[in-house]
Formats: sequence, structure tokens, C-alpha cells
Amino acid sequence: MGIRKCFIYFQPTQAAYIKEEEAKNSMATPEGSFSVEDMKNVQINIGAVVKEEEEWDQPMGPFPKPQVATLRNWDYTIMNRYHIMYCPADDTCTLCTYGPCDLTGNQKGACGIDIAGTCGKIVLIAVLMGTCAHTAHGRHLYHWCLDRFGDMKFDMGDEILVDAPLTQTILGIKPKSLKDYGEALEYCEEEIVQLLAATHSGQEGWYQDFESKALHSGMIDSLGKEICDMLQTVAYDMPRGEADAPLVEIGLGTLDQNKGVLIAYGHNLAAGAEAMIYAENQNLWEKVDIGGVCCTAIDLTRITETGRDSKIPKNLGPKAKVAGAMGWWRKMVRSGVMDAVMVDEQCVYCDVLEDCQKRHIPVIATNDKIMLGLPDRTNDPADQIVEDLVSFKMPGVAILDPVKAGEVGIRTAIAVKPKRAQYKQESLLTEAQFKEYLEKCTGCNQCAFVCPPHTSISMMIAEAKKGNLEPFSSSYETCVGCARCEVTCPQEIPILALYEYANREYIKNAKFKMRAGRGPVRDTEIRKVGAPIVLGTIPGVIAIIGCSNYPKGTKECYDIAKEFVDRGYIVVATGCMAMDMSLYKDEEGKTIWEQYGGAFDGRNICNIGSCVANAHIHGAAIKVATIFAHRNHRANYDDIADYILSKVGACGVAWGAFSQKAASIATGFNRLGVPAVVQPHSVIYRRTFMGRADKPEDWQVIDARDGSMQQIEPAPEAMLYIAETKEEAMLEMAKLCFRPSDNAMGRGIKLTHYCDISMKYFGKLPDDWHIFVRDVKDLPLAYQADMMKELEEKHGWKIDWKAKKFISGPLRPADVSFDPTNIPRKIRAKK
Amino acid sequence: MAEEIKLDISPMYEGERIRKGDLWVELGGPKADGFELSLATPMDQIEDGKVTVVGPDLGETAEGTTMPFGMVFKVGGEKIEKDLESIIERRNHALLSYISGLMHLNQRYDIWMRIGTNLKKKGVTSWTQIYKPVIDLYKAEMPFIEKMEITIYTDPAEVKKQLANAMAVYAARDERAKGLHDEDVDVFYGCTLCQAFAPTSACVVTPDRPSLCGAITWFDGRAAAKVDPEGPQFPIEKGTAIDAIAGEYEAINQMAEQRSGGEYSVMKLYTFFDAPHTSCGCFETIGFYMPEVDGIGIADRDFKGAAPNGLPFSTMAGQTGGGKQVVGFLGMGVLYYFSPKFLQADGGWDRIVWMSKGLKERVKAGIPEAMFPKIATEADATDIESLKKFLLKVDHPVVNGVSRPVDGAKITEGWKFEDIDDDMKEKVIAFIEATGGDIDTEAVKAKLGMSEGQFMQVVEALQADGVLE
Repeated sequence: MGIRKCFIYFQPTQAAYIKEEEAKNSMATPEGSFSVEDMKNVQINIGAVVKEEEEWDQPMGPFPKPQVATLRNWDYTIMNRYHIMYCPADDTCTLCTYGPCDLTGNQKGACGIDIAGTCGKIVLIAVLMGTCAHTAHGRHLYHWCLDRFGDMKFDMGDEILVDAPLTQTILGIKPKSLKDYGEALEYCEEEIVQLLAATHSGQEGWYQDFESKALHSGMIDSLGKEICDMLQTVAYDMPRGEADAPLVEIGLGTLDQNKGVLIAYGHNLAAGAEAMIYAENQNLWEKVDIGGVCCTAIDLTRITETGRDSKIPKNLGPKAKVAGAMGWWRKMVRSGVMDAVMVDEQCVYCDVLEDCQKRHIPVIATNDKIMLGLPDRTNDPADQIVEDLVSFKMPGVAILDPVKAGEVGIRTAIAVKPKRAQYKQESLLTEAQFKEYLEKCTGCNQCAFVCPPHTSISMMIAEAKKGNLEPFSSSYETCVGCARCEVTCPQEIPILALYEYANREYIKNAKFKMRAGRGPVRDTEIRKVGAPIVLGTIPGVIAIIGCSNYPKGTKECYDIAKEFVDRGYIVVATGCMAMDMSLYKDEEGKTIWEQYGGAFDGRNICNIGSCVANAHIHGAAIKVATIFAHRNHRANYDDIADYILSKVGACGVAWGAFSQKAASIATGFNRLGVPAVVQPHSVIYRRTFMGRADKPEDWQVIDARDGSMQQIEPAPEAMLYIAETKEEAMLEMAKLCFRPSDNAMGRGIKLTHYCDISMKYFGKLPDDWHIFVRDVKDLPLAYQADMMKELEEKHGWKIDWKAKKFISGPLRPADVSFDPTNIPRKIRAKK
Repeated sequence: MAEEIKLDISPMYEGERIRKGDLWVELGGPKADGFELSLATPMDQIEDGKVTVVGPDLGETAEGTTMPFGMVFKVGGEKIEKDLESIIERRNHALLSYISGLMHLNQRYDIWMRIGTNLKKKGVTSWTQIYKPVIDLYKAEMPFIEKMEITIYTDPAEVKKQLANAMAVYAARDERAKGLHDEDVDVFYGCTLCQAFAPTSACVVTPDRPSLCGAITWFDGRAAAKVDPEGPQFPIEKGTAIDAIAGEYEAINQMAEQRSGGEYSVMKLYTFFDAPHTSCGCFETIGFYMPEVDGIGIADRDFKGAAPNGLPFSTMAGQTGGGKQVVGFLGMGVLYYFSPKFLQADGGWDRIVWMSKGLKERVKAGIPEAMFPKIATEADATDIESLKKFLLKVDHPVVNGVSRPVDGAKITEGWKFEDIDDDMKEKVIAFIEATGGDIDTEAVKAKLGMSEGQFMQVVEALQADGVLE
């Protein structure tokens, strides 16, 4: 063999073309050269790779840009197994002038809709609200990034080749530059319009079709999030899956009270990032601190951390601080730590202006989705706006140009600090005032009734009167800051202010570390964990996502994370949950991010990023199917979802989800075959997807090897499960990581954790452990002997004791080559 | 006799670290001797379930002590034989680690264990209380163990003595494993564990070809197939070879056809090019053929950059997995680099031109001494041009043609030009003129970047043109 040209190709059309070319010129195929079958279209020429990935090796799948009804069969597959259960918040429909229509007792509304249909419609509307929020966020970033930075190459680095998994799976396209995401956004917007149209009176009426549309919306939501995070990752040079992304400061105590403190609150980093760039370029970090609230906090701390070419200063992210999660807002604003506030979009309390105005904290609205009744000063000179804010001439302004907003934010925070010192002092309770308010309490307990965590506020006040502030301290993080107690109190006691007074030391010392959001999961990581996940020897991927805004959500999300990371699961976190779990330290003073590695691997915990970075969790699941198992994902959503449902043990938890985005996020996970556990307040979303283990007909799948039907164990047993306690949630999550494809070792490990968690928190084995046992080797080692006895005595299984084998009993035998699917086109044709 | 104590035992404790502050006693490790040994023992010489402690027991040990430690597990059963010893011994790490309060690292004479004070608080006073449940764990995981007896050594003199015995056993085992080749056995083992995600993957494991995932040697395959006849590992009666050098066997072809659902009908063990082994996706390293130098490069998972062919591990791996036979790319396990049959049909190590640095160091002992300096790493070559220069400089066999060591057959001709253009001719003429006709091959390589063969090709062409005589 000598030095020669060699073509390696994959795509049939291209292969045919090359063969034709070779036939024309036999010199091009010298004797002994070879064509490599089944290879991607990599053409290796002398000395260099001339052309790599110019075109996509995968043929276009069956469903590029699926429309409202395209994936309906898949939705019905989900719904036929995971039955919809509604918990209506309202028995009437009031959406048109015929109404209100009483729908109780199987009555129909004037338009003919029944209660299930109404519930489905409300679910769809809620999911659409969330989907719109993410997609609109993406649309804003798209215009902003292209305006500010120009078009940029879409590059996720050498370790990520499947670089936009949802865009590729749903649309069948590969964006090459930021501009290419325009096509994806247009697709999302068209689908949203079609879906929203279906909620109009006289349109869709059947509840399952509403739910199919909600699942479609959930999928669009996941795509909208991916667009957002890909745009900002490239434009702002955020980490591209670095397991060792920097540790950043989090906590109210980290905001330096000797400087002006600017808070950036919301989800869209544009204005906050400009404030950081302004501070950097003007060399103002000695005079100002920037703290983020809610997801803007996470995204600001991700900026320019990889050192790639970018139009903004390097390593800027760690200079911002995370004030905290959205649930802490009202406690933060009362704590006196901030001097100016910029709000952008999503999850911002509607009374932000009122709360700030009372305390002489200027507010700058930076996004047209939240303008708070403020004057639009976008076109005024910055000097003039700063002057108006610093002199308290106006409590706030709207500035829709992020660059100007950033400059005004920084200058205002610095200049207003001395001017509002006296107001700040006045806004904080003195000891005398505190005591005075305590005395006003009559112990009527009306506050406890409206309090979501049912905190016994009167009791706390009674203890405080005796000089014991401990109850006020220990329930500080339990308080979700909703202020319903203050609204209800007949004595008009400012209860949140009492909290602030009692927790001044805590606030001052609230200094923690959080791993900056690392963004996507790398292909190389998937290659390492793909087999253990599918075989089950890594017991599962636990995604802790969304808000932690309900009783004890803060501490409990830490507890849940710790339980699973200690057990060797892959734990990923995003958004407010990632922030809240940073607020606890172990006995060595380490936060959870310092206790464990940050890789996508067993016994590791990753902060993936903000809410929109949730898309990378979908992405990781898709990558297991496409990178590891070589499923073509291009425009092939249902096939990939089917793979994930059958083979990728993953489960999400939203522990205290509050917004409609949480509904769209969970629904998007469900369509991809990933179950979610939510906290009791989530019944407000009205709908669960629950499997029925007692109905064997619901658990029939196709064996892709020969097309035969196979009964499987109920795995995963539910798609959307409401748990009442964190203990129940953890038990259910361990169970929802079971998949039919687990091998014996994997099932054994998963069952071990399921049983261990049950023993640890409930003091007994779960009632249904036996239905997941297919073989003696599936049994957890520690319980094996007792379990075999129980299987024989209680469940009537026949056991060959000498050989330690089941003669009869299990639902099905263990079979490593079993290839479960729910999609008939996946049946393998015999060659 | 110490009373039985219910210990916390679960896989979740695997990986648990016992820190200095929580330390009761440290065993083996960097400061003391330690070992673990499993011995296949006739059934009548085992007192099942018995744990004996030779030396001071755990309760007599002060907090913070570091001491020598040895454990000998006698195992017996109808299916147990000598070759299973190391398989059983290797489970020690996981099973001991399942116990909360016990940390176990490394293996054989390298063990390093820590017992935490939480076991003391639980009331543990004797090694017996820890090792009795270990016997149960072993029997649960490996049902072929019918009887098991454990002796714990804590007496320093006794540990020394037993360690010497153990070293002899390890040495004998290694000798057998190293000395065992495909020719010595009648049965190979197949593995379809990965069909869960790579449906046409069908692995063959032989003494000379450990699995590409690095998890299964021939001994492991044998143990697994024996213990669980219906499991994913199964025996393949070897029969006679169709092509012993390429590693083609009728029985393997049949197995491949059957287990791949008809996808492949030929699968050879020791070649890269014609019907190579399937790659499931779990491979520890990936080999890639580079036609420009007619040699093979190898990258491991930890290699982050681009190989000389311009592709990073992830791209190549992305094209190779899924249970496919891909000519020109091959997934390989690290242990395979120590095999005497390593790619023997293609010239073995003589055909390897590039390796990622970390991997090259890791498998140094497996690489023939003469070849070691001739294999480039990313420090020597980052693209084809720099690789060519390196190979010329070190006189790599691919430059002038590989005669494969296994049978001496010349399988490649060395580098040849396909077309000789005027540019080359002019360069050669200029070179000859400059050197006055006194040709030094080293200078040819260095100045022209050509092998001797390539230089001669140009010279011949010039002769044909009548330019040279």
C-alpha cells in the first residue's frame, strides 16, 4: 500500500456519488484502498481532514419539525399507560360569555365541553404559558445577541459533537451559527400559535387531545430552552460542560456592604451582563457588587469562563455573586443588603416596585415583558436617568436597551448608596419596634392558616416575647416570603420584618460556594456512563430542577441531592434548586459542590445551569441513545423518547415548583420518556400521569428482535407523581429509575436503593419490591435470603433452593438481549 | 464469642471515605503490611461460616492504630477450581466496601483498609462480627460458593509469614495467566452483555484477546459462564482455526451470525482490516488506520485533543460503536496491548505508528522494546505531516514495509508515491546536484521528507525520463 486517497463515507446518496466518481476515474481507487462502510462522511485526504461533518451523516428521520398531531401516536402510547388523573381547582368553566358553566356530576358546559376537557384545556394553557416564557426569552436573546455581538459560529468545543440535541432531534437541522437558530424559533412560534388556537372555544374538546397538545407544548418548551442556553453559551462564552467550572460566591452575606449593591433579578442575563461589563471596563469593582436573584444569578456567574474568543472581558462570571433563589426575594429586599435593583423577565414578584420604593431602592425595568408602570426612559441620556433615580425623583424607570440599563444600574447603585443610608436605617426594625410589634400579637393564629408551610407564627411571637428568637431563626428558610400572613394579620404586624430582625446574624454570615452552571453534558461523559446507565449499574440520573418555593423545599432539596449522590446516582441540578442546595455545609464546612465532583458521573453532582439549561438534561438522555446506542436522532423524536422510556433510568424532581414554566418543563420531560416527581402543591397544575401496576394489559411492549409482545414489570411506574413528603419522593424517585432494560446487576443495585431508602425512612421493605424481580440475581445482596423466603411463602413462587433459581413466579425472565420498544417500526427486519 | 451485630450493608457505602477524625484502625496501606487471598479448598477442609482471628482482636485495638493485616478466604464448592480464586478475590473490594464504616482500597498485597469509629459505637468488638456477614454476601453473589471459611491475621509475625505464602500464590497465578494462550484452551467465551444498547454486538473473549471494555478476561468469561449458564457470557467451542494468524474460527463466525441476528457472518480476532471484531461502544481505547502512513494509531478516552488524522477520540468513537464491524477503526481493551497476538495479522506493534501519550506510558510493558521509541505520541506528531517526519526519522517499519513478526510474511511494501510529479523530480535533481551524487539516506529523509523507497522511485522515474543515468 502506498500513499493514496481514501474516501470514507456513510450517506447512501453520497456513497453512490463517490462510487460513480471512482468508476469514472479508476486512478482514484488504486488497488488495495478501501471504502469504509457505515462510516460518517469523513473524507481523509493526504495530510489533512479536508471535510468533516460538512454534511450530516444521518439521514433525515421521519418527523422533521413535527406539527401538532404528528407525534400524537406517541402521546397516546404514554397516556394509555400513564393514566391522566385530574384534580380540578374549579368545577366550573368561565372562559366564555355562556358561562360560568357548572361541570359537576358529568354535566356539560354550554359549548359541550366536560370537566375532563376543561381540565385538559387549563393544563394546556398553563403549559403554553411556560413554553411561551422560555421561547420568548430565546427570541429576545436571539435578537439581542445578534445585535450586540453579530453572528457567531456555533461551537460547543471538541468534546461535544452532538451539540444541539433537541434542535437536531426535533427539527432535523444542525445550526452552524447563532443565526441558524432563527429557523428553530420560527418553528416554536408557529407551533405555539397553533396550540393556543386549539384552546379557543369551539376548538379542541377531548381531554386526551388537549394533553397530547400539552405534551407537544412541553417538547416545544424544551426546544425553546435549548435555543436560549445555546445562544447565551456561545455569545457569552459560558462553560461548555466543564466538570470543574469555577466555584462562585452565594448568599446574602457575600454582598459587600461597603460597596453599592446592584441586584439583577429574573431570568434574562442581557442587562445584568452589561452592568458587569460596564463595571469591568470602568474599573468599578472596588465600588460595586452585583448580586443575582433567580436564574439571572446563575447565568451571570457563567460569563466568559472558558477563555475562548469573545467580545466581552474574560473570566467575568465569578465577579458576580448569587444573592439567592427567587423564593428568598421578599426576605432579601427586607434585609437591607441592596441599593438598586434591575429586573428583567420571568418569576419577578409583581410588587417588586412597591417593596423597593418603600425602602428607597431604585428599580430599573430592563425588558418589555415587565414594565411595572414605569416611564420608558430608553432614549434619555444616562446622566439624566441616574440623576432622577439617585435623587429619588422617581422610584424607577424602564430602560429597554441593556447597555444603557447596565450603565445606569451600576452608576445608580454606587451613587445612591450614601443617599439612602438613612432610609435604609429606617427601614430596619429597632429593638424597641420589634418588641412593640410582638406585643401587638393577639395569638389569633389567622396567619398560620394562610401560611403555605403552616408555620405557627403566633407561637414564634410568644417565644420571642420571652426572649427566645430560635423559632424565628429555625423557620427563616421555611418561610417562602409570600407575605400572606401580613395581608391577613388583623393587627397589621409586618411579620417578614420580624423575621429580618431575628435573623440579622444569619444574613451577615450567609456565605457559601456554588459551582457555576457548567452547561451541556459532554459526549465523552456520555460515552463513559452510557453503558452503566442502560445496564443499570449506575442506578439512575436524578434531575433536581425548578423552584424550591414551598415548605422546607430549600433544605429538602439539599437532603434529596445528598441522599442520591451518596448512593452513586448521577445528580444534576438547575435553577433555584441548585442555588438553594448551596446554603448548607457539612461538618467540614463544605457545601455540596465542594463535597463532590462536578462531572456527569455516578457520585457526582453537576450544576447544569439556569432553568433554560434544563434542556441539557434532555440533551444528555438523547445523547445516550444517539452517541452510545447509535440511534439516529435526526428528526426522530418518538424513537428517541421510546429508547429513553425503555432504557435510560432517569427521574426528575421539582420540589416546590411554582410557576407555569415548571408545568411546561415537567411535561417536556414526560414526552421524552422521563418521569417526574413533584411536591404536593403541584396539584394546582391539576394533572398527574399515573401508571396502574395492577393492570397487566397496560404493560405490554414489543420485543424489537422479533416483534413479539412481552409483558414487562411496571417500569417506570408513573410519569408525573405527586409525593407528600421528601421521604416518599425519594422512595418514588428510586423506583422511577427502574427500566425494563436493566440487567441483573443493575436491577439488583436499583432494588437495593429502593429497599434501602424504604428501610431507612419507613422501617420496612416496600410492598411491591417483588414485582420488579425477574431472577435471583436481581435480588439485593443484603436482603437476598429473606426475600427468597418471602417470595416462596407469601407470593407462592417456586424455588430450586439448591441451584438458587426461580422455577416459577417472576413476570418475565431476565434476558440481557431483550430489546423493548413501544413503536412497531422499530421491529428489526431479519436479514 | 462476640454477639452478632446487624451492620449497615449496602452498595451505597461503596466509595465511602473514612477520614482521619473518624478512624478506629488502619490496616495495611502505606505504613503496614497487608494482603488478601482466596484459596480454592477441598470441601472437607473447610468449616463453613467460621471466622478465626490470629492475633489481637478488633476490640483490643486502640483508636488511631495502624497495623498489619491479612485475610485468607477458603472457598469450596462443586464448581470451584483454582482459576476461580482471583475472580472471587477481586469481588472483595466491592463486597467489603458495602459495609458502612469499612473502607477498602486496592487489591492483593496492596490493600489499604480503614475501620471507622462508627463500628465501635455500634458495639463491634471482633473481626468475626464483620466477616461473618461477608461470607453471606459472597454466597449471595456467587452461589457456586458452597462453603467458606475466613482467617484474619493481625499478629505481625504471622502476617509476614502468610504474606510470603500469598506472594507465592499470586506469582503462580500470574505465571499461569501469562502463560495461557488461545492454543492451550478448547473453549473461548462470548459476551452479549452490551446488546441492551448495541443489538448486533457479539464479543469474543480468548486468553489472548481480553474484552474491549476491559472488564472481562478469559478467566472471567469462564467463571461467569460456569456460574450462570443462562447469563450473557457463554462458551464457544473453539474447533480448528480457518486462519490462525487472523484469528478466524468457524465457531466464532457461526456465533457472530447467530448473535448479530444475521448482520455479520465473519468475524476475525486479530486483524483491523478484513471482518474485524465488532465494537459495542464501551471500548477503553480506539485504534484508527491512517492510509497516508499505512499505519495504525491508538487513542484512549482520556486523550482530549485531535489525533494526527484530525479527529478527536469522541468523533472516532462516535463512528465505531453500536455493535458494528467498521473496517479501519477498532475498539480495543487496554489488556489487549499485552497480548502476543495483538493485531498479529496486520503486523502487530510493527504497524502501530502513534499512541496517545498517557496510554503509551500505561501499556509500556506490553510494547516491544525496539518499537517503543518508534511510536509517536502527541508530543511528537499532531498531524499527518509531522507524523510522517517522525516515522522517517525513527525508521519505523511502515516506512520501508512491514514483515509481520508472527510468520515473517511481508505484508506492506512501505511508502510509495502513486504519481511522481515534476515538482518532486525537480527537488530530487536539486538535491542530487547539491550533494554531488553522494547520497546519504538520512539527508534524503531530513531534507526531502521521503523514504529511501520513495526517493528511489523518483530516481527511477528520472532515469526513465533519461534525465539521470
